[in-house]
Amino acid sequence: MSFTLHGIGVSRGIAIGPVHILRPQVEINEYRIEAEQLPAEIQRYRNALEQAREELRKIRDQIPLIYPARDNTGEVDSGVSATAVEIASFIDPHMLMLDDAMLTQIPIEIMKEKHCNAEWALQQQHIRFTELFEAMDNEYLQARKHDIQQVIERIQRRLLRTQQPPEEEPLDAREFPEGCIVLADDLTPADTAMMPHRGVKAFVTEHGGMNSHTAIIARSLGIPAIVGLRSARRYLRRGDTLVVDGLRGAIVCNPDVRSLRYFKILQTEQKRRRGELSRLREAPAVTCDGQLITLYANIEFPTDMQAVKRTGANGIGLYRTEFLHMNRDDRGQPDEEEHYEAYVHVLRAVDGPVTIRTLDLGADKQVDGGASRIGAVPANPALGLRGVRLCLKDLSLFKPQLRAILRASSVGPVRMMLPMVTSIQEIHQVRQLVREVQRELSAEKQAFDPDMPIGAMIEVPSIAICSDLFIPYVDFFSIGTNDLIQYTLAIDRVDDSVGYLYEPLHPAVLRLLNTVIGQSLNAQKVVSMCGEMAGDGRYVRLLLGMGLRYFSVNPETLLEVKHIIRHSDLSKLHPLTQRILHSQDTSETEALLAQINAL
Amino acid sequence: MLQQDFTIINKLGLHARAAALFVRTAMRFSSCIELQKGQQRVDAKSIMNVMLLAAGKGTQIQLRIKGEDEIEAMCVLGELIQSGFGEDE
Repeated sequence: MSFTLHGIGVSRGIAIGPVHILRPQVEINEYRIEAEQLPAEIQRYRNALEQAREELRKIRDQIPLIYPARDNTGEVDSGVSATAVEIASFIDPHMLMLDDAMLTQIPIEIMKEKHCNAEWALQQQHIRFTELFEAMDNEYLQARKHDIQQVIERIQRRLLRTQQPPEEEPLDAREFPEGCIVLADDLTPADTAMMPHRGVKAFVTEHGGMNSHTAIIARSLGIPAIVGLRSARRYLRRGDTLVVDGLRGAIVCNPDVRSLRYFKILQTEQKRRRGELSRLREAPAVTCDGQLITLYANIEFPTDMQAVKRTGANGIGLYRTEFLHMNRDDRGQPDEEEHYEAYVHVLRAVDGPVTIRTLDLGADKQVDGGASRIGAVPANPALGLRGVRLCLKDLSLFKPQLRAILRASSVGPVRMMLPMVTSIQEIHQVRQLVREVQRELSAEKQAFDPDMPIGAMIEVPSIAICSDLFIPYVDFFSIGTNDLIQYTLAIDRVDDSVGYLYEPLHPAVLRLLNTVIGQSLNAQKVVSMCGEMAGDGRYVRLLLGMGLRYFSVNPETLLEVKHIIRHSDLSKLHPLTQRILHSQDTSETEALLAQINAL
Repeated sequence: MLQQDFTIINKLGLHARAAALFVRTAMRFSSCIELQKGQQRVDAKSIMNVMLLAAGKGTQIQLRIKGEDEIEAMCVLGELIQSGFGEDE
């Protein structure tokens, strides 16, 4: 059966392939239950069964609400949308299984006989089923063991929840089939980042929002991604063929021949468009009226340089360095040499400056070993010890990086950028440390650039509001719009229930941007933007109108931004920019934005 | 006690959804209902058992029903099997 599900498209492109479903692995241990404890243990099992039934009843009751009988999703979906009845028919077998004596009685008999815990008894029954199914000679019926597995896992999860709080299972060390599409509850940035390296074509998660770190990574990796696709794992099975349409945020499961042909054509069409843009590689980013704009690329990994080279970027405006701390298993923290090699690799691969952002750990970027080093994850990580705060607190983390950055500055033009700056004091402290490291390096006869520019990211309203006060102490600013919007509008980027409030066009955001850009221009201080907003084609002209001349964007959108720049006339942007800045509500702003983009 | 032989005709056989439909229907009757395939005989009101029969397309099965409403049950369940569980293929 073919059907379509909708989520939030966070990284465009079309991918077609078999789905690979990630489920947290549950570890089952055996322990002895004494005779007097048995009735309680049996009751615990019955409760888990009832809770599992209740979960399924809820899901079944929600289906008509999630899938009302309508089909307004456009040509792609006509004839392939599932009806609520069809979807419910997948749930009914599971509900029946939960009432079947094989699950309601036999595990209890095993518990009585072996004096073992409920989880273990259920696991024994699971193993038996698996063996029986695997002995079948009908492949399709054999695959129904997954239905039983899903039901048993549902009970196991309920059982484990009564015992201990559910724990996040690390997913990073898993193998993926080549060319698959990964479907998971949620992915850590570390998981996401590793996917293309493991041959994953696209991914879909049930949680997350447009601007979660996961989504951003997907965009910078250029792989299609959809997040917030609630309950997708209930309807999909391993090996189902999926079409992921990252632009529309839709997946089509097991498309029929016609739909498949449509998506293949669309995929080719998008490739052709990219081919057209690639001819802009050598062209300068200059406006119709002759203003040269600097276009930098954002990168995450040294390997991203291949994508950067295809764009002809003027340099790197944001080199994230958190990757050095990800997927480390038991190798501990990266040392100075690892930092240094990663920086030199990029410096040698690009013409123009490389802006290295010092470690921005914390918040949604928890990495391997991070929690144990930093302590328990705080309730409000976005407001906690992250970015430059963490670096200044933990010099064993920061100092090797500072030394490596300074040493790399002798190889090519390096700029150092500090994330999450909220006070001038932090800049003084970093400069003090830099002077110390410079003295050390001099004593060791190591080369470095004594005038290496040091800049601050503008990600927090405090620095945006009084950027003029910071100007004497920094060499440049770079605006990180994602966090700036999160902190200005009080919206958790990873909480999709408030994702609809995330609005780059909110007057508060636009005023902050205009303030920072205006004050920097007055003081002749370089100001760039490396946030998502800079790479979103809709905002390019508005930002040009505010006076932004340095953009740093993901390699995959760079040529599109260049295309827009080359078709913009700065002299005409001013009046509409002013009207947008004075607009009172977002719908009016949207209309004005459409006008400025139609110029 | 009634017994009758049938052939599974739908493409996917007694897979999860077909089995669920069959079991749900069987549950409506008070009679004792069993399905037999070869030497294997199972309770037709247990979805796990019905699925474990591994009755694919073309499989010969026997329906054995004993109880007050056995005649109606045989009629309804037989019809369900012969209609291929209402599936297109």
